[in-house]
Amino acid sequence: MKKRKLIHWDYLLALAISVLLAFAIGAVILAVSGHHPGTAYLAMFQGAFSNARHFGDVLEYAMVLCLCGLACVLGARVGIFNVGGEGQLLLGAIAAAQVGVWLSGVTAWVTIPLAALAAIATGALYALIPGVLKVKVKVNEVITTIMLNTIAASLCQYLAKGPWNSASKTIVAGTEQLSAQHWFGGLIPGSSLSTAIFAAAIMAFLIWYVMQKTSKGFEMKLTGQNPRFARFSGIKTDRLVITCMAISGAICGLVGMFRVYGAEHMYKSSVSNDYYFEGLMVAMIAQYQPVPVMLLSLFFAVLKIGAQGMELSAGVPNQIYLIIQTIIIFCMAAQSGISASLRAKTGKRKASAAEGGKDNG
Amino acid sequence: MKDQNEIAVSFSHVSMQFPGVLANDDISLDIRRGEIFALVGENGAGKSTLMNLLYGIHTPTSGEITVQGEKITQFSPKNAIAHGVGMVHQHFMLVPSFTVAQNIVMRQEPRKLGLFFDNRAAEDITRQLVAEYGLQVEPSAVVQEISVGLQQRVEILKAFYRGADILILDEPTAVLTPQETDELFDVIRRIVAEKNMTVIIITHKLGEVMAISHRVGVMRKGKLVGVEETAHVTQRQLASMMVGRPVLFDQLARTGTRGAVQIAVEDLTVQNDRGLRAVNGLSLQVHAGEVLGIAAIEGNGQSELLEAIAGMRPVTGGSICICGQNAVGRTPGEIRAMGLAHIPEDRLATGVSKDASVQDNLLVGKHMLPEFNRFGFHQDTRAIAQYSQQIYDSFDIRGSGIDMRVGDMSGGNMQKVVVAREFSFDTPVLLISQPTRGVDVGAMAFFHSRIIEKRNSGCAILLVSADLDEVFRLSDRIITLYEGEITGEFDPSAISKEEIGYYMTGSRSGKELAHEEA
Amino acid sequence: MGEILKSIFSVGTLNQMLRSATPVALAAIGGSMTEHAGIMNIGMDGMILMGAFFGALGSYLFGSAAAGLAMVLLMGILVGLFFALFVVKLHSDEFIIGCALNTFALGLTTYLSRSIFGSAGTKGNPALPKLHLPLLDKIPIVGEVLNNHSIFVYLTLIFVIIMWLYVYKTPQGFWLRASGEKPETLRTAGISPEKMKWIASILCGIFCALAGAHLSLGQLNGTFAENMVNSRGYIAFACVIFAAANPAKAYLAALMFGFFDAIGLRLQKHVSPELTGMIPYIITIVMMVYVVVRSQKKKRTKAQQKA
Repeated sequence: MKKRKLIHWDYLLALAISVLLAFAIGAVILAVSGHHPGTAYLAMFQGAFSNARHFGDVLEYAMVLCLCGLACVLGARVGIFNVGGEGQLLLGAIAAAQVGVWLSGVTAWVTIPLAALAAIATGALYALIPGVLKVKVKVNEVITTIMLNTIAASLCQYLAKGPWNSASKTIVAGTEQLSAQHWFGGLIPGSSLSTAIFAAAIMAFLIWYVMQKTSKGFEMKLTGQNPRFARFSGIKTDRLVITCMAISGAICGLVGMFRVYGAEHMYKSSVSNDYYFEGLMVAMIAQYQPVPVMLLSLFFAVLKIGAQGMELSAGVPNQIYLIIQTIIIFCMAAQSGISASLRAKTGKRKASAAEGGKDNG
Repeated sequence: MKDQNEIAVSFSHVSMQFPGVLANDDISLDIRRGEIFALVGENGAGKSTLMNLLYGIHTPTSGEITVQGEKITQFSPKNAIAHGVGMVHQHFMLVPSFTVAQNIVMRQEPRKLGLFFDNRAAEDITRQLVAEYGLQVEPSAVVQEISVGLQQRVEILKAFYRGADILILDEPTAVLTPQETDELFDVIRRIVAEKNMTVIIITHKLGEVMAISHRVGVMRKGKLVGVEETAHVTQRQLASMMVGRPVLFDQLARTGTRGAVQIAVEDLTVQNDRGLRAVNGLSLQVHAGEVLGIAAIEGNGQSELLEAIAGMRPVTGGSICICGQNAVGRTPGEIRAMGLAHIPEDRLATGVSKDASVQDNLLVGKHMLPEFNRFGFHQDTRAIAQYSQQIYDSFDIRGSGIDMRVGDMSGGNMQKVVVAREFSFDTPVLLISQPTRGVDVGAMAFFHSRIIEKRNSGCAILLVSADLDEVFRLSDRIITLYEGEITGEFDPSAISKEEIGYYMTGSRSGKELAHEEA
Repeated sequence: MGEILKSIFSVGTLNQMLRSATPVALAAIGGSMTEHAGIMNIGMDGMILMGAFFGALGSYLFGSAAAGLAMVLLMGILVGLFFALFVVKLHSDEFIIGCALNTFALGLTTYLSRSIFGSAGTKGNPALPKLHLPLLDKIPIVGEVLNNHSIFVYLTLIFVIIMWLYVYKTPQGFWLRASGEKPETLRTAGISPEKMKWIASILCGIFCALAGAHLSLGQLNGTFAENMVNSRGYIAFACVIFAAANPAKAYLAALMFGFFDAIGLRLQKHVSPELTGMIPYIITIVMMVYVVVRSQKKKRTKAQQKA
C-alpha cells in the first residue's frame, strides 16, 4: 500500500559504481604519490580486520559515525543543516569529563547520569544558538555553526590547557583522568570499543523509529520538504525545527561523552578529529536516510580504521580515506546529475509543456 | 512598399513532441505582415508551445518555420531576435533590481570606451523609444518598484529595441484592468498601422479576440482546428471550436439561507513582503451560507488579506474573528482549530508538498487524530491508506494511485488533492484563492459545483480569483479591492464586469489621482 | 590596561590587519562573483586550501615562487571548473558539493603534503617578495602601515577596484547579476546564463587560489601547513553575505575581520591565545546577525515612510 521499497536498486547501483570509481581514482592518487595501490589497499584491509582489537576500533568508530550522521539527518529532515556537531561534540565531551573529575569519588550511579546530563545540556544549548538564530532571525545556519565549531574548539582547548588542566604534566591540553570506576566497560581488550555502543544502538533505533514510524516524524518530513506548506497545514514548524536542532546537539554531546568515558577516559583533543564532519559526509552519501546511514557508517569505519592501520604498516598517509570518501560523494552527485540531464531531455520538456499549459490559464 | 498580403511567418507541418505529449500536431499556418493575429485555445492546447517554437525556445520535432521568407534552421532566441521576432512572455523577463533602461538595452548595451556600460546613453535610447512608440515609462525607474502594467510596457519596448517587427504577446491582459487593456490595445492598433508590424496575441479571452484581432486561429489538443477572419465568426462559434463541443455551464443551484457572521475583519492592516502596507484599514464580514467574492487586480492586497486571516502573515493592526474567536496573533494551526480551511493561491509553494505522496498530502492536518495513531504516536498505516484511498476516489483524483508523488501530477489533479484535503476538514469557514488557476474547463465546472455545495451546506466562503467570470459565477456578494482598501460592494446580478473594472482601479472612490500617477 | 590599549591601537595592529584581511578579502572577491551568479558557494575554504598547497608545491618543485604562482592560477581555474561542472552543469546540491570540496581539499592537501614533504612539512620554499615602496616611507604612520607587505596586499586593492567595475559598470557585469537574479531574462535575450555561472565559478576559483597563495607563498616563507586555511573560506563567505556581494564592501568587511584578528594577536601577550583566537569568529556571527536584522529594519522604516 504505502510507498515502501525495502531496497532501492538504483541507489545501490549508483553507490556501488561510486565506490568502485573512488577506489580506482584513489589507486591513481596512490600510484602518483609513489605508493603501490595493491599493497596499500591490502594494508587497509588488514588494518581493519587483522585482529580483534582493530575490529573493536572499527565498531567504536562506526558508532561515532552513525550517531553523528543521524544527528545530521535529524536536522536535515526538518530542513536545517547542523554543521556544528563538531563543536557540540567537543563541548559535550569536556563538560562530561569535568563532571567526572569533580565527582571522581562518587558512585557511578550518580556520576554517569550527571555526566550524561551535562553532555546533553551543553550539546543541546550550543545547538540552540544557530537553531534559534535560523528560525527567529533567519541567519544562515551553515555559517554560524561553522563559526561556532571553531569557537568551541578554542574554548575547549583553553579549558583543557588552563582552568581544567590535568595536574600531571604528561599532557599539555587535557583534563584529569577519570576515576576507573566511571569508565564504560571495554568489550574487546585493547580497543576503544565500550559498552557505550549499546546505548548508541538504542539511540539509533529510537531516532529511526521516531523519524520513520511516528506522526511526529511525519511532521518532520513535511517540514523539511516544504516548510511553508507545513506551517500552512498547522504544524508548529518553528518549534519543531528548534527541537530537532537541540536533539541533534544533544546527540553530538553524548557522542563526546561516549568518547571520553568509553575510549579516552579524559578530555583531550583526540576525543574528536573532525569526526562529526565525517559523519556528515556519511549522511550525505546516505541521502539523509537513517538506515543507510547506519550501514554506511560501518563501511566507512572499516575504511577509516583500515587507513590508520595502513599508515602505520605501509606508510601511506591515512587521509587517502577522506579523498576516497569525498570522491564517492562527487561520483554519486555526477551520476544523479547525468541521469537527471538524460531525463531532462524527457522530463524538462514535459515540465515546460506542463508550464506552457499553465501559462495559458 | 510592403505588400499587404506578404507573409511574415509561415509554419509548415510543424509538430512538437514532448515525451508523452504531442504538444503541436502538424500545424500549417501563415501569418501576414501588418495583421493582428489572435491564437486562442484551452489550457494545454499548445498555443504557447507553438509561439515558443517561433521564438526559438524549443526546436520542432518536424516541419519548418519560415520568417520573413527565410527558413529557420537554428532554433534559439538569439536567432529569432535576429530574424525580427520579439516576445513578451506572460511572466515578464525583466531583472527586478535593474532600471527600465538597463533592462531594455540588455545584450545590445551602449558602451563607453568599448568596455563600460553607458547608463546615460541607455536612458537616452529608452527616451527615444518612449517617444517613438508612445509607451510612457521613466527610464531610470527600478523595475521592481513600478506597476505590472508599466513592466509590460518595458517588455514591449525591449522587443522593439531589439528590432522586432513580429511581436508575440503571451496572455498580455492577464494582469491588466479592463481600462489598461483598452490602452494596450490602442497602442497595438496604432503601432501595427504605423509601422506595418505583425502582432500575435495568445489569449483565451474571446472578448479580446473580437476587440482587437484581424484573424484568429483556434487550437485544440495540439491541433490547429481553424483559422477565421475575426469579422466572420462569433464568440459562441469560437468557444465551441476551442472545446470541441458547445460549452454548457450548468446553472449553479443555490439553496439555504444566510446565517451568522463567521468571518469578521475589522480595520485590518497588513504588510506585504517588502514591508509596504498591503491591506489598509479593511473591514468585512462573511456570513454562513454565502460566498463573498473579492475582485481585484493582482497585487492589491487580496493575497495578503487571506494570508493574514489564515495566520500565515502577521497583522499590524485591527482585528480578525473566526467563528467568534480572535484570530490575531494565532498560529495557522490554532486558527484552523477555530474552524477554518484554506485553499491557497499558490498550490506548489503553499498547498502541497510536491515531494510527498498523495496520501501524505491528503493526511496532513489530520495526522494527529486518534484514528490514525496507535498509542497516540505510532502511525497506523492501514487506517491512513484506507482513509486517503476513500478521499482519492470520492474526489475523482486521477493519477497512478495514492502513492504517486504529487509533484508528478497535472495541475488540475494537484488542485483536486488540495481541495479534497481542505474540504475534508468540514469547517464552517473556507478561504478559497484562485481555485481553478491552470485547471481545464471540465475540472473547472467540477470545482465550481463543489464550492457551491459547500456554500449550500452553510459554509462561510471568502473567494479570491483573478478570473472575473469565476467571481461573478460563484459569489453572492462582490467587493472590489484597490491598494488594500475596499472600493465598493455589489450584487453580482446588478452590475456589469466593465463597471466592476472601474472600481478595481479605484476610480470611483476618489482614487483617480493615485491611479493616474501609477 | 594602558599597555594593552596601546598595543591594540598601534601601527603594528593596522599592519597586521592588512595582512590578516588580505586572504579573506581575495576569497570574498571571488565569492562575490558566485553569489551574484546565484550560487551558494560554501566550498571556498577548500578552494583556498588547494591554492595554498599547490602554491607551495610549485615553488618547491620548480624552485621559484613565480612557478608556484603559475601553479596556483592553474589550480584555481581547475577547481573553479570542477565546482561549476557539478553546480552548474550537473545541477548538484551546492551545499553537498561545497562541503565535499572542503573535505576533499583537506584530505588531498594533507595526503600530498605528507607524501611529498613528510609529516614535518615543507622547510621553506622560495616565497614571493615583499614590496617596499620608498615613496611611502616619507609619510609617517601611513607609510609604516602600508609598506613592506606581500605583493598580494597591494594586488587585492587593485582587484577590488577591477572587480567592482566589472560587476557594476560593464555589460558582462549586468549579465552576471542577471544570471543570478533572473536567469530566464538572459536566456530570452540570447545569452546563456550558464555561461555566466561558469565564468563566475572560474573567477571564484582563481581568487580563492590566490588567497591560498597569499597564505603559503606570501606569508610563511612559502611553507604549507595542514589545514592552514582555518575556516577563512567561511569567514569570506560571511563577508560576501554581509556585503550583499559587493566586492568593495566585502573588502571592508574583510578589513574588519583583519582588525579583530590583529587585536586578538596583540592581546595574546595578556590573554590566552585560545580565547583571543575566538574573536574574529564571534565577530563573524555578530556580523551575520546584524546583516539580517538591518535588512529587516530597513523594510520597516521603508514601510513607515510609505505609510
